[in-house]
Amino acid sequence: MDETRPEPIEQIRQRYEGEWLLIKVTSHDENGLPKEGILLGHFPDRKAAWEATEFVDGEVYVLFAGPTIPEGWEAVLHGWFSL
Amino acid sequence: MDGFRFDLSAPHIVVPVRITGMQRVRWVNLVLDTGSTSTVIDELVAFRLGYNLESAPTVSVTTVSGTSQASIIVARQIFALGMTVDEFPVLVMPLPTQLRADGLLGLDFLRRRNLFCNFEKGILLTLPSSRGFLHRLAIFAQIFPAL
Repeated sequence: MDETRPEPIEQIRQRYEGEWLLIKVTSHDENGLPKEGILLGHFPDRKAAWEATEFVDGEVYVLFAGPTIPEGWEAVLHGWFSL
Repeated sequence: MDGFRFDLSAPHIVVPVRITGMQRVRWVNLVLDTGSTSTVIDELVAFRLGYNLESAPTVSVTTVSGTSQASIIVARQIFALGMTVDEFPVLVMPLPTQLRADGLLGLDFLRRRNLFCNFEKGILLTLPSSRGFLHRLAIFAQIFPAL
């Protein structure tokens, strides 16, 4: 895992585009959202990123650096449930 | 009033959400989905938050492509779009790997406040529900300059 100084989360996203990121949150913006953090690791898929969270305490942000669906795909997410 | 910017070029409106689970606090990105009646997270996320899905109750979930089963957990706290909700039920199911977000922020969370979306500027505003005429007027006075 990479351990560095806190930096803007947007900057980390741009550096690792197309990867899942594990970031320790160190500061928040005026809306209470993660603003800066320390990159703990970058991974090729969601599973690997979440498995790595097992060893990290505190406020951690797991995110994908890129679009929510691959290029050329469409998403239809509508759903409801019944008991 | 809470205002958020979203990426106009992105395929979804993605909302950072802080979930406090049984053992841990995690920030995740959820897709804002007014078509989903419930908020949903991926199985792996729930497991890492400290939930045991084997003992969790289940429900039937209907989607456009069919039906499936989902577990229900209760998040100790959820924070998103300026709102904090304690003891919030969340559905848990495996999400497709092609979806690069950890779940959906559904209507059960969104309907707690009024939501205004400007797709030209990429601005999302949330406001408390209006109680009377003057309150509504004050809210609109806040909205228009922001939008």
